[in-house]
Amino acid sequence: MTSATQPVVKLTLRLLSGPAGAVLVMTAIFVVATLAFFAINGREAVSLFQEMVMGAFGDSYSFSETLVKTAPILLTALAVALPARLGLISVGGEGQLYLGALFGTGAVLAAVDQPGWILMPLMLTGAMAGGALWGVIPGLLKTRLGVNETISTLLLNYVGILLVSFVVHGPWKNPNSLGWPATIEFPAGAILPQFFDTRVHMGLVFGIVAAVILHILVTRSRWGLGLQVSRSNPRVGATAGISYERNVLIVMAVGGLLAGLAGIAEASVIQNRLQDGLASGYGMTGFLVAWLAGQHFLRIIPLSVLMGGLLASADSLQLYAQLPKASADILQALLFIIVLAVASLWGRRRTT
Amino acid sequence: MEYFTTELLTLLFAALRSATPVLAVVLGEAMTQRSGVINLGVEGQMLLGAMTGFAVASVTGDPWLGVLAACFAGIALSMVHAILVLGCGANQIASGVAVLVLGSGLSAYYGTPFVGDKIDTLGNLNHTFVSDIPMLGQFLGPITPTVLITLLAIPAISIFLFRTRTGLRWRSTGESQDITRNLGHNPMHYQLAAIAFGGLMSGFAGAALAVDYTANWVEGMTAGRGLVAVGLVIVARWNPWYALPAALLFGASEALNLKLQSWGVNISPYLLATLPYMIPLSVLMLSYRGLRASGGGMPAGLRVVFQSAR
Repeated sequence: MTSATQPVVKLTLRLLSGPAGAVLVMTAIFVVATLAFFAINGREAVSLFQEMVMGAFGDSYSFSETLVKTAPILLTALAVALPARLGLISVGGEGQLYLGALFGTGAVLAAVDQPGWILMPLMLTGAMAGGALWGVIPGLLKTRLGVNETISTLLLNYVGILLVSFVVHGPWKNPNSLGWPATIEFPAGAILPQFFDTRVHMGLVFGIVAAVILHILVTRSRWGLGLQVSRSNPRVGATAGISYERNVLIVMAVGGLLAGLAGIAEASVIQNRLQDGLASGYGMTGFLVAWLAGQHFLRIIPLSVLMGGLLASADSLQLYAQLPKASADILQALLFIIVLAVASLWGRRRTT
Repeated sequence: MEYFTTELLTLLFAALRSATPVLAVVLGEAMTQRSGVINLGVEGQMLLGAMTGFAVASVTGDPWLGVLAACFAGIALSMVHAILVLGCGANQIASGVAVLVLGSGLSAYYGTPFVGDKIDTLGNLNHTFVSDIPMLGQFLGPITPTVLITLLAIPAISIFLFRTRTGLRWRSTGESQDITRNLGHNPMHYQLAAIAFGGLMSGFAGAALAVDYTANWVEGMTAGRGLVAVGLVIVARWNPWYALPAALLFGASEALNLKLQSWGVNISPYLLATLPYMIPLSVLMLSYRGLRASGGGMPAGLRVVFQSAR
């Protein structure tokens, strides 16, 4: 080895033993696992993988569809990452998303004749209130009774989904929809703005802005510092005047509010109405993304785009390659398992 | 009066049958948690068990083979949790959710061709000596084999856990891994066995649902039963005997839901369908009050997972 290349090699090795190396290993294992999954199921693995990447990022249309999926993933991931700052494990993004859609739609139906400048803020406020409600309930159960938030959020997901089914099959069902369980179409004033003639909508902007604000608040503000103190030792926090209980309610409410925005965006822009199966699985995907990002708000943004790409390409492959939709779930789970395994082993090696 | 008793008994036995899959998961998960490991993946294991059991029953024509295959499927998927948690030291909640998503994805992917198939059922106690028992025969008749197996598992698990040396070490692992280690045993062996047993029971629960109770496979058919069961483990205080009344809570709310609908009660079926989640959640709230005061029998090793999970 010449003396000129030695520092380069040394630097590379040092980078590889750090987080960059871990990411590289994860990516490599994931690509191999995906290829293996395709091959096991009798597919042309390599070409299908190429189509998958193209289906997510290949042209401007694919990429716009990727961003459409990114928005709800980003928002529901933030709904997981914020409570995680306090050591809470919320899996309630799905239910909060549905409640946001439910309350937002309620506002739209109540003020359907109003002009857009009244209707839109009402709709968004309703959505935020609904999502926040579905976050505060497990928060209250936690602070008042000590009920584990993971279990209560998981159970409330099912209740939230059923509540939406209730209104679209019952009181809010459009009488002219020929039996199809859905509300009336949203008026033009209740459709969130979209960009460049695509379906990419304001929800994405909400998500990015929220991620940046949360990052600044948590890393730079007194409140963020308080969260850290509260998390590591609620008693010390209490003596410094930081209420753990109040912080639990705040992070759960704000998280729920963001997931609620994701819900109303889906109803307004993607479906143009409230109906069953509004957004199956975004809440769970958001949970995975938040963990993949290590609950880091800014890292959530690119990872949401990546996961959005996976879901968008699964949609197009379902159409063009008859690849069942469930393969998106399987690939997500594989990615999550690989990242959990590698990250845990990496972390363990560091500490020992 | 007689009408009332009949209705009540019908409801109770209907509750028992619909509670069985949940009961099996509660028993398995209670055993897992007794070793200090929580596994939310039981929902996914149950789904994979249901799909595998139904598919095998459909292909081979033998529902018992389906039940057996379901148990193996549950164990196999639970090993993902074991590798992540025990092998890599990953967060237990996150790993559980990964297993949950994997199980629902795999079952949806490979289960599609079997949707709508007809399978032979395991049969029930009708036309046996049991259905000739006066008064009770009509209620005992519809009881199916998985109900009996699950009920028999209660005393079996209880004897193992509280009356055997291995059971003692199993419990001590959940309280303090150091104790087990100091006794010269590897706590990880017990936790591995505990996760596998949880996998077995949740796979079996899937078969009890798809092969026995409904004789049908639908994507996502467990509808949160596994997650309800994880909550009910707390209500049951990690005790196999209390698992029965806890699971009956779910069964009764589901039976009540169907009963109210058949009586033509003027409440939306979608609202009634929230009962199997709302009632266990409400009881969980009450249950937590006791838990806060006394610890309520929560394995100490689990407390670490619950309270400082980050």
